[in-house]
Parts: sequence; C-alpha cells; structure tokens
Amino acid sequence: MKKNRQTLWTGVVVIIFGFVLFYVGTDGFRAYTAETARMYKLVEQKPALPNVTLEDSNGRIYPISEFEDKYLFITFMYTTCGTVCPILEMNMGQVYEKIPQKYIGEDVVFLSISFDIEHDDPEALAQYQEHFYQADGETWRMARIVEEQEMEQLLETLGVIVIPDGKGDFAHNSAFYFVDRDGNLMDIMDYTKINEAADRVVNVLNLEKEE
Amino acid sequence: MNQFIYGLLLFIVLALPPVSNLLESIMIVHMHMQMPLLIIAGFMMGKYLILRSPRFFDKYNNNGVPGILLFSIIMIYWMIPRTMDEALTMQSVQLFKFISLPFLAGVPLRDSWIKLTSVSKNIVITIFTVMFFAMGLLYTLSPEQLCNNYLIVEQITLGWGFITMAICMVIYLVYKAFVNQEDYE
Repeated sequence: MKKNRQTLWTGVVVIIFGFVLFYVGTDGFRAYTAETARMYKLVEQKPALPNVTLEDSNGRIYPISEFEDKYLFITFMYTTCGTVCPILEMNMGQVYEKIPQKYIGEDVVFLSISFDIEHDDPEALAQYQEHFYQADGETWRMARIVEEQEMEQLLETLGVIVIPDGKGDFAHNSAFYFVDRDGNLMDIMDYTKINEAADRVVNVLNLEKEE
Repeated sequence: MNQFIYGLLLFIVLALPPVSNLLESIMIVHMHMQMPLLIIAGFMMGKYLILRSPRFFDKYNNNGVPGILLFSIIMIYWMIPRTMDEALTMQSVQLFKFISLPFLAGVPLRDSWIKLTSVSKNIVITIFTVMFFAMGLLYTLSPEQLCNNYLIVEQITLGWGFITMAICMVIYLVYKAFVNQEDYE
C-alpha cells in the first residue's frame, strides 16, 4: 500500500514535470515551431523599422519615415509570384475593406513591399496593383526598396526570410506586419485570418480615439 | 553488465559530433533513427541501473505507470517540430536531447514495460498508434514548412515514416487480438 502511494506520487511528479517541460518548451503552449517562437520573440522585442527608401508604383521616391505618426499595415511580396502572394494581397484587400473609412489613409496606410528589386520597377508594380481594386496607390501603396542593403536590413528586422531559387522565384514566409506610429513593429499576424487581423487594427485605432 | 557497456558504447558513438551531425542532416533519420537509438542506448544501460538500485525503482515505479508516463512525455516532447529545430540551433536543447532520451525515456521504459499488465501495454501502443497517425498527417499535409532547418520534402518523408510505423503497430495490435499465442507454444 505504501509503495502504491509512492508510485502514485511519482506519477503526479512526472505529470507536473511534463507540464513544466511543455510549458517552457513551447513558450506557454503557444509556439510549437521554431518559426512561431521566433515571431513571438520579435513581437515582444518590438524592433524599430530601419529607415529605408521606397520607390512606389507612381515612381515616387521617399523614405519610409514619411509615414511616421501613421500606423503601417505591411506585406512582403513580389509581382511575378504565382503562389502565395496573390492570396496574401487579396486577403490584405479584405482587411483594407474591413477598416472603417475614416481611418484609412488618415491613421493607417497599407503598404505592399516587393523584395524583387530587380524586376519590380514602378511599371511592374503599377501593373500588379491593377489586380487589386482597393489598391489606390495612396492609402494602399505598392513599392520596392531602392537599395538592396536597406531591403535586407528591413527583412532581417522583421524576420522575413526570402530565398531566391535562381529562376526568378522566391521561397518566403508570409504574414501581415503591423507597425505603430513610432515605426516600431507591433504585431505579426496570420495572413489567412482576415477578421482577426482587421479586428486587431480597428481595436488599436478605436482605443486610441477614446483616449 | 555486458549490455550496459554496449548501451554506453552506442551512446558515446551517437554523441560523437560527426555521427550526430550526419544523422541530424536528414530529418527522418534525425527523428526515426537517432532518437530511437538514443532510447535504445538508455534501454540497454537501464538493466544495470535497475539491478543496482532495485529498491528505488520498486519504490517509485511500483506498477510501471509513472515510468511509462515519463517515457511518453519525453517521446511527445521530441515530436514537436520546434524541439527538433532547437536541438540543431541551441546547445542546451541538444544536451537535453542526449540526456532525456536515454535516461528519461530509455531507462524508465526498461523498468516499466515488464511491470505493465498486458491491457496497459495495449493501451500504450494504441495511444502511440493514434499519435503517430496524427503526427504523420501533420507532417505530410501541413502546407507550411514546420522546421526551419529542413525542407518540406523532408517533412513529407518524415510524415510517411510516422504513418508507416503507425500501420505496423496496427498490424501488431490486430495480430495480438486475433492470434491466440498459446496455439503456437
């Protein structure tokens, strides 16, 4: 009987150990892949965006700090991408539509940044933009980064991994990046969860207006 | 004692950097060969450890349930995609892998398995069968790359490895259920 009790207690200890192990190993049951773990870390750190120079579909060239004191809703793509990017951008368009009109352009700017700086000149970007009727070139802009070095810095800061396959295509991770008025990363969101992303943005803006 | 030495030798060979690097370079070998071999090393070393301190194991693992629980927890932990990645990128996690698999999974498995009733054994195998099917589906069907260190192709291969093992376990369970062992003794 005594042995049974000790065995029972060992069982309890083992379960507690397992719980702690999984809790620590997955950042509190949130991150089951190294990728999500990396994302949580980034969101906790809230890194500041490096000041990169953009060239948009209208051929305008300006630093990203132009959007200072506005929220930025960013995606990374390239225009010849046939797989994820069209979905990513379409979903971005749906988020755009769910944001109340009064905030659009005024408080939040949508920005699709191409990492294919060689191919995606203003012309290619303008052509691509036509596929997305919400993208007006003002409140939702498509742009490339002029300097390769600056682009790499930005991708690195936001944890975007882009691997060129050498044939003009890229393997890359996709997400919505939400940046606050001070140019610090606020959140990285699942690009397939449109409602969640839109709610997050609207909540932040509403809260601000109440204050 | 002999078995302990073989187990220890296996453990040392597996821990050699060139060997571990080689085994870890392929996803399915990492999970379905290196990790089980580490458990086997612990399993072999276990006999000696259990004989040396029978009181300890008798006292705290009287019916084998805590031991098999610990074994299962360690197994499941190393099936999480993240832990495989981190074993490659973080020294501490790699160290934990080499300690936990032999000593927290292999040794308790040795001590527990003979203590379990045949019903509990079947329950354990059934749970692992379901889990392996689930992991197999996860790794084969996930559109995303789950591990940063391995390609999607490798991930799918690993998934099929899980499914194959699950099928083997199903065959074993069916065999156990329908074949009367005594007929062949």
